[in-house]
Amino acid sequence: MATGSSQIEDFGQVSRTVGTIFRYLILAATLFGIVVLAALLVYVANDALQPATADPGWYLTFFLTLVAPTALVGWAVHRREPAAFTFGSFLVGLLVVSLMFSGGVGLLVVDVVPPLVGFSFAIAIAVPTAISVFLTRYSHRIGFTSRLSATAFVFYLSLFGLPGPIGSPIGVPQVVPSLARAIQSIPVIPVDWMMVGTVLGGIGGAVVGSYVAGVRDARTGLVAGGLAFAATLVSAVVGPFVGLNPVPSTVLTAVTVLPTATYAWRGAFTEERRPAGLGFAAVVVGGALVGAAATSTLGFAGPQSWVDWQFLTSAHSGSAENAGLYPAIGGSILLMATVAALSFPIGVGAAVYLEEYAPDNRLTRFVDVNISNLAGVPSVVYGLLGLGVFVTYLGQAAGTVIVGGATLALLILPIVIISSREAIRSVPSNMRQASYGMGATRWQTVKNVILPEAFPGILTGTILALGRAIGETAPLIMIAAPNVVFSLPTALESKVSAMPLQVYAWSSLFASEDFYTKAVPAGVVVLLAVLLAMNSIAIVLRNRFERTG
Amino acid sequence: MSQQNTDEQTTSEQDAGDGGSPDPTDDEMLIQTDVSESVDETSGTRRRETVVRAEHVDVWYDDNQALSDITMEIPEQSVTAMVGPSGCGKSTFLRCINRMNDLIDSARVEGDLYLRGKNVYDDDVDPVALRRRVGMVFQKPNPFPKSIYDNVTYGLEIQDKGGDYDEIVERSLKRAALWDEVNDQLDESGLELSGGQQQRLCIARAIAPDPEVLLMDEPASALDPVATSQIEDLIEELARDYTVVIVTHNMQQAARISDQTAVFLTGGELVEFDDTQKIFENPESQRVEDYITGKFG
Repeated sequence: MATGSSQIEDFGQVSRTVGTIFRYLILAATLFGIVVLAALLVYVANDALQPATADPGWYLTFFLTLVAPTALVGWAVHRREPAAFTFGSFLVGLLVVSLMFSGGVGLLVVDVVPPLVGFSFAIAIAVPTAISVFLTRYSHRIGFTSRLSATAFVFYLSLFGLPGPIGSPIGVPQVVPSLARAIQSIPVIPVDWMMVGTVLGGIGGAVVGSYVAGVRDARTGLVAGGLAFAATLVSAVVGPFVGLNPVPSTVLTAVTVLPTATYAWRGAFTEERRPAGLGFAAVVVGGALVGAAATSTLGFAGPQSWVDWQFLTSAHSGSAENAGLYPAIGGSILLMATVAALSFPIGVGAAVYLEEYAPDNRLTRFVDVNISNLAGVPSVVYGLLGLGVFVTYLGQAAGTVIVGGATLALLILPIVIISSREAIRSVPSNMRQASYGMGATRWQTVKNVILPEAFPGILTGTILALGRAIGETAPLIMIAAPNVVFSLPTALESKVSAMPLQVYAWSSLFASEDFYTKAVPAGVVVLLAVLLAMNSIAIVLRNRFERTG
Repeated sequence: MSQQNTDEQTTSEQDAGDGGSPDPTDDEMLIQTDVSESVDETSGTRRRETVVRAEHVDVWYDDNQALSDITMEIPEQSVTAMVGPSGCGKSTFLRCINRMNDLIDSARVEGDLYLRGKNVYDDDVDPVALRRRVGMVFQKPNPFPKSIYDNVTYGLEIQDKGGDYDEIVERSLKRAALWDEVNDQLDESGLELSGGQQQRLCIARAIAPDPEVLLMDEPASALDPVATSQIEDLIEELARDYTVVIVTHNMQQAARISDQTAVFLTGGELVEFDDTQKIFENPESQRVEDYITGKFG
């Protein structure tokens, strides 16, 4: 065809009209849901936060101290070093999210778990854990089976004593008290903040230490862990001087200061070297603090936000002004803990079975299809199931933490299974081949290769599933969880309410103008904030996973 | 097929200790029937004991026959290469030796395959215990996302073997010619190594538990020429201690490193199996000659 001599004058045009129309239609489809929801959220946030009630001076002050410097410095940093800007924004985000988490932890420490109980169980878990780590690391001579039984025995002894729950039904008296019980019965009890500080500082120190050891070397890690532990205890002593009680200040240090400081150290002073990001974060945080100080000295009133300290820390009340969400927040946290404890092992176990063990036959295909279908069963049906099984059949009291948690766990179980299977399936098959080729049994392959590889994916899926559970209302209504409770549940058998249930109650049962125009939006904002905080962990985990995998 | 009861059988097989020690009568017969008397440059002429002996092995994937009537004997402490065009079943045969084919639901193996005189397809053979005595290196380097140290000790770890791990790690990495490059970064992830280093790490991992046979499934095909020649040197080195069976696409590679060569051709038949020199210089079959000289395949 193409002869060498002829020159091409024009290639012509190919019509793209249909393609362009299609492109914008799918863009509209993408944005439709987001825009509609965003409009609602703006409306709700406006009702909850009441931004119009603030003094213009308040806005001006904050614009000068926070918004303008942030925009300027952010722009400059971003232009020079985009990675530093990302680091700085992450640091601010981490600070905000970890502040919310310290609120949650503080709630548990102050009102749910008595310090002595928490302290004794933390030690009763830490001691056998240390022993089993020691066994695993330092003695290859001990076989796996004996190591497992030794570990199990040490844990049992430490948590239950001898003969413990195994002996009690047949009337054998307790001979050796458990470590937890022994600590609880010591005559001299340390002060609350010491116990809380030791536990939180110990956990925080261990996490910081192992993180730093991963970035640098084991020795630096040890030093950092020790410093973190000391800082937590010292904060309890220093706290009262800046107007914080000892226990909350240990919580704040362990949950907010330690992770933020470690992340800041890593980003600014290790091999990544992005001190500019640290500067940006300092401008944001400093601007907020200066703005707050300036508005209070200049006397500019902030917005009459409905989401304030009083709303977050008090229980429901007959008048909307005094009503708060505190028991519902605590109830939701405890419910989520129960749901996670129940659904995670069962869901991951089922996923491992279906992916790694199940033969490909009619039964497993039937199970497969049905798990997908179960994910779509309406939540009210699960509520009915929970009511029928746990309350009527097993005789549990209605509306307790354990019944609510178990029902919600059933609800999200299919989602956990499906997402865990997805994560397990994404482990490259040549890893399996390598393990089987070395002569590993199926269990060894699952334990050593598949679960460690799939773990971040499994965790992400589980957290997103928990996000669904935290917003569920219908199952809680079905199991007769009370709409309103006035104190935090302190045991698994206590009655529990939850944030969505409380919001629902405000919008229907106490439907006075103030409740459904102010308290309901405020409750929704808090619920969404908690949800976002949870999902942010999932997002961070997923990003880490994608980068390494 | 026996994959379901793998876990239960493992312990009993381990307790049996030297599970691979051959039956005395079988052993005698092996020596008598051992006909391949190869001349090796390094150790001169000597009678080599047969390590792997296949008798009339057929493999099917569902209804497709992948291997038909393979009979061959692989002598110890030598490199046996298997060459042939894609889909000729050479990898399938390799996977018969350590029963990796068991992991594929549709695969069916018939015939007898002896490892040091014990038929690995006997009912009382636990494939997991078998694989612990046969090392395997795959086409694509597949280190675990663990530290270099943990990669090498993986086989010992899962076999619950005692011993001085530090020493075994050092010895295995030295044998795999990797020690000098990684001895100061044993705690770093095996995935951070280059492709050639990863493959040598996989070799170190495979030889750490001291297997009877080392199976290699195109171990250098995913590597660059420099890494390939390192691996080839290494294979020749390893053949002093181990029986190496290697599948390769690369004729020159087979000619360079192997003592015996088996030529598989389409349809899953073993057309010729002899000393490498003979195969490449004076093959008996015309088809083999055509294949080797590049007339087809």
